[in-house]
Amino acid sequence: MFGVSFLAPLFLIGALAAAVPILLHLFHRKTDVVIDFPSVRLLTRAPVQQHRRRQLRELILLALRVAALILLAVSFARPYVAGAAAPVSAPVTVVLLDTSMSLSAPGQFASAQKAASQAVQSAPASDAVALITFADSATVTVPPTSDRGAVLAAIAAAAAGAGGTRYRTALASASEVIGAREARVVIVTDLQQAGWEANDDGGIPDGVDVRVVAVAGPRGNLAVTSASRRDQVVIATVQNYGADEARAAVQLMVEGKEVTQTTAVMAPFAAAEVELRGGFGEAGTARVVIEDATGYQPDNARFLPLDPPPAVPIAALVADPSGATGGIYIERALSVADEGPEFAVTVADGRVLSEWTTAEMSRYAALVILGTRTLDRGGRALVKAYLAGGGQVLLTLGPDVDPGTLGDVIGADLGVVPAPVRAPGATLVASDSRHPIFRPFLIPSGALGDVQVDQYRRLKDQEGRTVLARLTGGDAALTEQVVGQGRLLVFVSDLDNQWSRFPLQPSFVPFAVETARYLTHGRQLRQQLTLPEVPAGAAMAPGVVTTGEGAAARRMVVNVDVRESSPAATTVEEFTNDISRTNRSDQRAPVNVAREVEERQRWWQVGLLVMLVALAGEALVGRRAA
Amino acid sequence: MGEARFLDPAIVARLGTIDLKARTIVEGFLTGLHRSPYKGFSVEFAEYRQYLPGDDLATLDWKVYARSDRHFVKKYEEETNLTCHLLLDVSASMGYGSGPVTKLQYGSYLAGALAYLMNRQRDAFGLVAFDAGITSLVPASARTGHLRAVLLALERLKLGAHTNVAKPLHDLAAAVRRRGLVVLVSDLLDDPQQVLDGLKHFRYRGTDVVVFQVLDPFELKFPFEQAARFRDMETADEVMAVPAAVRRDYLDRMQAMIAHYKRELALVGIDHCLLDTSQPLELGLMAYLMTRRRMP
Repeated sequence: MFGVSFLAPLFLIGALAAAVPILLHLFHRKTDVVIDFPSVRLLTRAPVQQHRRRQLRELILLALRVAALILLAVSFARPYVAGAAAPVSAPVTVVLLDTSMSLSAPGQFASAQKAASQAVQSAPASDAVALITFADSATVTVPPTSDRGAVLAAIAAAAAGAGGTRYRTALASASEVIGAREARVVIVTDLQQAGWEANDDGGIPDGVDVRVVAVAGPRGNLAVTSASRRDQVVIATVQNYGADEARAAVQLMVEGKEVTQTTAVMAPFAAAEVELRGGFGEAGTARVVIEDATGYQPDNARFLPLDPPPAVPIAALVADPSGATGGIYIERALSVADEGPEFAVTVADGRVLSEWTTAEMSRYAALVILGTRTLDRGGRALVKAYLAGGGQVLLTLGPDVDPGTLGDVIGADLGVVPAPVRAPGATLVASDSRHPIFRPFLIPSGALGDVQVDQYRRLKDQEGRTVLARLTGGDAALTEQVVGQGRLLVFVSDLDNQWSRFPLQPSFVPFAVETARYLTHGRQLRQQLTLPEVPAGAAMAPGVVTTGEGAAARRMVVNVDVRESSPAATTVEEFTNDISRTNRSDQRAPVNVAREVEERQRWWQVGLLVMLVALAGEALVGRRAA
Repeated sequence: MGEARFLDPAIVARLGTIDLKARTIVEGFLTGLHRSPYKGFSVEFAEYRQYLPGDDLATLDWKVYARSDRHFVKKYEEETNLTCHLLLDVSASMGYGSGPVTKLQYGSYLAGALAYLMNRQRDAFGLVAFDAGITSLVPASARTGHLRAVLLALERLKLGAHTNVAKPLHDLAAAVRRRGLVVLVSDLLDDPQQVLDGLKHFRYRGTDVVVFQVLDPFELKFPFEQAARFRDMETADEVMAVPAAVRRDYLDRMQAMIAHYKRELALVGIDHCLLDTSQPLELGLMAYLMTRRRMP
């Protein structure tokens, strides 16, 4: 019943190459001169090699070479053990076992395992049986097989995790396993309402019988749904998903040690916010833990970072950093944002920036261009590629910007009139005061009317360009447009106190900060992740993960999806009605199942490893023979 | 007498039966001699004896029966000058031949020619073929038709296994009761001491011995050029050798072995005749006759 199959059997033809060393061996044997001679005893025996020993070595070498070639061909053919693989035409019973967090209440998953085992045992005798476990994603744990013992063992080995529920993903996986064959589907789940993610696709093919086995959930559940730090206080929210009032002890743990504890009292279906005060450092991670013996377990703890959010890197390009201004106004304005290091500004002149690599440039969330006169051709190409690749740029058109090379820097014709316009006393007027950049100016103290611009460069009208603010004369003062995949803001005067006194105005700091925030929105380094989004290689579980090494190391916390904490369930009828049906002709071929099995087993890696060992042995024996 | 007058062994090999070969060799050889120094009688009548059951009917004297109506058989007495035992080595090493004639073929032609010559001289002769033991035996006799039996035995010889010259020599030495002549045809590629011991056994019993050591020209010159595995024809041992590197040493050993045989055999009065399979067979006959001449 057990047999080896191949994903790409045509590669087995490559095994014919094994005939090459065999033929060479035979040819070598034929060309090896052997002379029958009666007086051999009189020949000097010094350079003698015993024939049998040599013959044995040659045979070992031949075997190793042939084995290496065959292993190479077999590895490329992607072998896999199909187990008691059932023929693809055989009817199949697919058991879908929910392993999401909503099955993690005490005793709940054992009930699910029992139900799944019964489904396997009660499947028609002629059916193959497959097992799919699912949470955020679905895994074909046991492909269709007639070995029911293997399926039962896999059910016994399964466990509820901390993932969310994605029913449609599981149904899509079942549909792939079923393919075009006759099938029955048994879904063992708690019928959680939150499992029907609207953006997912997936259904069961027409004509497939679906049976839903409901596993009862807990009467209620308590969960820590949020936790954040404000100075020396951690504020946590504890949600009660039950119909009864609940009381729970809330602990704050820092680096594994309890810092403080309090009690939260929650009304039915309500949340309570608790403040946890205690001494903790400026860095590290903390955990808010509650006691909930009857509900889901993974959501009884929530991790939070104690470190301040990392500063967003911004580059400022100037003509000459040793000059009178050198970007000092924009650097100082951004350094006071959020009363701390919200932004990390790097000021570089054109010569320095021209030596940056693409990777170094892409590290910056935004680029402020104050001067381009020292930017060489490489630097211009670098800025152009940065913007086209999705970079965020604020361009000022002050005296240090060379209008003649702007097209090379930006990668688009901005329609800049090179000659500056003198307009003493011109002020700014926001075209749409609801724009995020102008939000601070809604209050009178931050009025843009105080901004005075003495000189500027006029922008010709262009399609695709939005004017965010104008000068009192009517010319555009601040525009926004898309260039490639990036975004470009253009300020028609300078921000270095040469053509404009704007940097000396009280409104400059909020303008600079809000502009920077607008440009860098969504590009901040995240400190908190929600399952199933975890860094590559990290465990799919709540906790603290570290990425990178050395100076680039970053610590992040991973928490469960709070939607999974709600035990609200549908009925079996509602659940069944929510299952969409698909056309059988749309089904993927069952080879996908084989591919999954092969990818899980990865025998090709073993084959290549053994091949390397054979080659090493061949080299060793060959050297001795030589 | 130049060798050009003799028959090339390659030509002899192309002749039909060994009978024809032997006759051609000997008649040609004798024709070249001015006179035959040898004559003799093979058998002479001794007496009559009453027939007993089991006696050969061919020996019945029918004339006596006609006269006396009684059965008498004739009894003969060998009166030959010599009883000769031809000992031919048929071990695997004798199967070697770089040219058209192997050492065994050469040795069998020589034995056949000697038998033919002895037959002409009415000498009794027998044949013993051996490798590690005796593989074929034709007892010595001088009767009419015996030559055919010996030649037929020579015709049917097959290569044997490895050589053990000493054992059959000792066996034969113990069996030979009458003094006579033993002719050994072998390549003597065996332990020299054992070979010498066996031959000395004959000499100690008063038997004359002549040894024809038959070797191939390639064994004597080792003219190989290409590196090769040399496989022993008897033991299958293999030696990988570059001829240019080992030739000098090989030839020295070969010459030392031949010289050793020649010297040691001479000490006990045994003639040693080295024959190269490319040399005419008549040289062997001549060596035999030289030995025969010395015998009483």
